[in-house]
Amino acid sequence: MSHAVKIVMVEDDLGHAKLIEKNIRRANISNEIAHFADGGAAMDYLFSEEVRLNGPMLILLDLNLPDMSGTDILIRVKADERLRRAPVVILTTTDDKQEIQRCYDLGCNVYITKPVDYESFAGAIRQLGLFLSVMQAPDIE
Amino acid sequence: MISALRPTLLAFSQFVRTPTLGRRVAGLLALAIALLLVLNLAVFVLIQRTADFNDTVEEAQQTRFVAREVLTRLVDAETGQRGYMLTGRLEYLSIHTEAIQRLPDLFEELTGLTVGDPDLGPRVEHLRALSDERQILMERTISLARTGRFDEAVALVRSGRGKVLMDAMRVEIAAIDEIQTTRLQFQTRQSEWAGNVTVIANAFGGAVILVLAGASAWLIRRYIYEVQGARDALDRLNAGLENQVRVRTFELTRANEEIQRFAYIVSHDLRAPLVNVMGYTAELEQAGRIIDKQMTAVETKAPKLVEQDALTAVREDVPEAIGFIRASTEKMDRLINAILKLSREGRRNLVPEPLDMTAMVRNIADSVRHQTHAAGAEIVVEPLPGLESDRLSVEQVLGNLIDNAVKYLDASRPGRIVVTGEETAGGWIVYRIADNGRGISDRDHERIFELFRRSGRQDRPGEGLGLAFVRNSVRRLGGDITLESELGKGSTFILKFPTRLILPAAGDYA
Repeated sequence: MSHAVKIVMVEDDLGHAKLIEKNIRRANISNEIAHFADGGAAMDYLFSEEVRLNGPMLILLDLNLPDMSGTDILIRVKADERLRRAPVVILTTTDDKQEIQRCYDLGCNVYITKPVDYESFAGAIRQLGLFLSVMQAPDIE
Repeated sequence: MISALRPTLLAFSQFVRTPTLGRRVAGLLALAIALLLVLNLAVFVLIQRTADFNDTVEEAQQTRFVAREVLTRLVDAETGQRGYMLTGRLEYLSIHTEAIQRLPDLFEELTGLTVGDPDLGPRVEHLRALSDERQILMERTISLARTGRFDEAVALVRSGRGKVLMDAMRVEIAAIDEIQTTRLQFQTRQSEWAGNVTVIANAFGGAVILVLAGASAWLIRRYIYEVQGARDALDRLNAGLENQVRVRTFELTRANEEIQRFAYIVSHDLRAPLVNVMGYTAELEQAGRIIDKQMTAVETKAPKLVEQDALTAVREDVPEAIGFIRASTEKMDRLINAILKLSREGRRNLVPEPLDMTAMVRNIADSVRHQTHAAGAEIVVEPLPGLESDRLSVEQVLGNLIDNAVKYLDASRPGRIVVTGEETAGGWIVYRIADNGRGISDRDHERIFELFRRSGRQDRPGEGLGLAFVRNSVRRLGGDITLESELGKGSTFILKFPTRLILPAAGDYA
């Protein structure tokens, strides 16, 4: 994974955010991680001019946000000319079939359920980190 | 015959005794028909009487005619007698004889016409007597004249006896005439009166029939209007009811959906903190291990620095605390998953299909065979009536109940689980799952169906979820579940399902 790829994490639970970050780091992924605790801030950032300058990025998205649903962000991102090529990984507690289906229909690239069992959670994040290390993210124009 | 008629008669008497519109209409029509019959009878009687009257008139005319004929013949006989006496020519005598010969026939006819008549009979007899005497008188004059004793014959004529007799006869005939005329007049009047009465009665009867028919028609019309009105009211009521049902169903469905949504949200929002608890517990554990390692290193290099309490804390207290946190969190996770499963089951779409219940329950019994075998128990599945319902739900319900029955057998006796079923009135099918296991105490009969509640010795794994799930599913399938059980004897779970699961039309919720 090239250093230019930035990870945008939208996660309202600070504990989860920290655990995710820790485990990504444990997988030796050193990309920059921008964390947003609510949907509004994340949207402001994603649709700001700054993003244009930052090149390729990957979005880690939680669905249960305090101010909006993660799917709303997904819809906006996938409808945007510039952002729609950015890979979106849904990382959430919801394992509801309809929700999963809906997210893939809306264009999410990966859907991961946070397991309560910490070992598998940590494992999953590390796997994700490994996955991120080999995947290619397209440049944001 | 009588016995066959009895129900009809009973129904009829019931009909007559009940004051209904139908009875009134039938009564009016029966009255009209009866009236019509009476009128017919009257007309018939009148015709009969008119015919009789015609006969009487004919008889009277005939009587008058014959009586006059008698006089005419006698006058003819007299003419012949006188001619003979004057001329002595025999052709006059033949005129006389011819006239006399007709008389007996005429009298016979007259008697026939008047026989038994108190007024005419005696007069006819008198007439006959007078005629006989007149004939005898004429025969004597003729025989006197024949023997040449003309003087004697003339004297006999001159005596005037013959004229007296003839006058008397004329009087009788006139009297007969008079009687007949009077009678005819009387009868004509009577006949006219009867005719008038009949005409009036007919007119009146016709009018009454018209009125009755009109009343019947009016009653029927009113009845039809009433029926129509009642049907309209019923239609309106039905429409209102359907609307009400739709509104209620909609409200219920919405409330149900809200509960489902609530359970779903709660379970997910409860899960998020658990991820943290578990995650940071693991982090703590890892940190503890690092500290432990550090402590071990310090212990070997500078044992004096190490406090015994610190060692105990790191090696015993911290792992113990973490162990409890982890166990509780895992339990919490199982409970949340249980709620999640219930809420998901409630949202699953039901697909009714015909189910071979005997085969299904035998399959379930086979799937727990190794457990029953190990426990030395048996499951008896009797032939079960079929059902039209959602396969997965019914399978899960029966699977849960049979699992429970196997799980809570009494080790002190060989287990026996019997599944039976029967169709009952009102479109229901009842299945019974009876075991001879531990049984459930009375106070827990309702409690065991609640979420996370269990009964009896807690020596079997479980979350107290199965029966809550079962009841939830059974109710969703439009059925009900009840329990008959005695502690230490065994339990019977009674499932009641509608023969056919009918789902509300999807459009009702729009």
